[in-house]
Amino acid sequence: MKGYRENLSEALQAVLPITLVVMILQFSMVSMPAVVFIRFLLGALMVMAGLSLFLHGVKTGLLPLGELVGAEMPKRASFAFMLLLAFILGFVVTVAEPDVRVLAHQVDVVSGGEINRNILILTVALGVGFFVALAMLRIIVGIPIAYLLAGGYVLVIILSFFTHPDFVPIAFDAGGVTTGPVTVPFILALGVGTASVLGGRSSITDGFGLVGLASIGPVIGVMILGVVFG
Amino acid sequence: MTELLEFLYIGEVVEEVAVALGPLILFFIFFQVFFLKLPREYVFNLLKGVVMTSVGLVLFLQGVKVGFLPTGTAMGEILGGSGRPWFLIPIGFGFGLVATIAEPAVRILSFEVEKASNGAIRAKVILITLSLGVALFVALGMVRTIYGIPVHYLVIPGYLGALAMLKFSDQTFTSIAFDAGGVATGPMTVTFVMALSVGVASVMEGRNPILDGFGLIALVALAPILSVMVLGLFYSSGKRR
Repeated sequence: MKGYRENLSEALQAVLPITLVVMILQFSMVSMPAVVFIRFLLGALMVMAGLSLFLHGVKTGLLPLGELVGAEMPKRASFAFMLLLAFILGFVVTVAEPDVRVLAHQVDVVSGGEINRNILILTVALGVGFFVALAMLRIIVGIPIAYLLAGGYVLVIILSFFTHPDFVPIAFDAGGVTTGPVTVPFILALGVGTASVLGGRSSITDGFGLVGLASIGPVIGVMILGVVFG
Repeated sequence: MTELLEFLYIGEVVEEVAVALGPLILFFIFFQVFFLKLPREYVFNLLKGVVMTSVGLVLFLQGVKVGFLPTGTAMGEILGGSGRPWFLIPIGFGFGLVATIAEPAVRILSFEVEKASNGAIRAKVILITLSLGVALFVALGMVRTIYGIPVHYLVIPGYLGALAMLKFSDQTFTSIAFDAGGVATGPMTVTFVMALSVGVASVMEGRNPILDGFGLIALVALAPILSVMVLGLFYSSGKRR
């Protein structure tokens, strides 16, 4: 378990501050029933243990693989095939993203099952996949990122007038949750890998911006889902 | 007591994790067989990581579903029904501040921006700007939930502002800024702060838990983008002088 300590401290840093604030509130302004508070403390322990194991596993197992694939893909595959692979990679990492699952679960519960969690996850993953592929195309063709960002957000604004109102906040939230501990490193590895293989282009400027683009995909996806629902 | 036993029912989460990680693992198997052809030992090491990821994800999701989400919702319901819902605004600010300062991704980002500015903007300044930015936006999100302001009234002007700044910011800052959206939306913000606002919206009269409860993560994602863009403006205007 080399390096586990570091991930444990990372998990503690994420969970402890919130836990402390909740404890202070419990004994000052908001006293929740004891059972709820105990559930919170047990949950916090589980989340800490889970998060540290998860981060450690991602760093020792998934990330090295992601980097290998990110570096290998552009060397071996034709452009068209690479775009397809980028789409699939964007899709599968999003399906594995914990934050996406938590949001989908909460939406499912609050809507009384009307907005099904699996449909939501599928939509978000398709959105990320599509935009990762688009972002790769950008690196290959050399379109400035500002154009794509601006175009994407204009589309979002237009769609927000046509979609079912309930889907607007969910769509925007979906854009926020896709940028989690699994997606970000994978997509960055892919972008930097592609930019460095293509040569001539600056791997810094081209490699970055991928995550920002990837998070527009789910917003558009969920809004389209809302148009279909509405 | 029975409510505490809920923690033990992990069957559903185990199934969910299998569905979550399955496609990713299949994708890698495909790569391993056709392209990578890594030595068996190496694959075995990676496999250990995958197993750890799965176990960690099961614990995390179960802790969130059975512990965090219900508590956040309960706390929101108590505050929303207390007659003093505005308490949530400073509470939101506090949660936003402590969660962001502690977030490792935010610190990495701060160093990245320091580098992009050739050291002209210190990492500590960035860290404080970002944390205050996120805290402010969580507080704003609570205001929105309590008073029922539609989310796009805040998000769309926010993004338009960021897009307008694109014109004046240099490319490196732009890329970093838009990538930065994710740094503050860590698992804690997503789970706890979201549940809090959903809880408030579900008990307050005239509020809809879907329409007013969700949307907070979007604001939290917007805060770092705007903060970094503004820092970028300061940097490029300083450079010109």
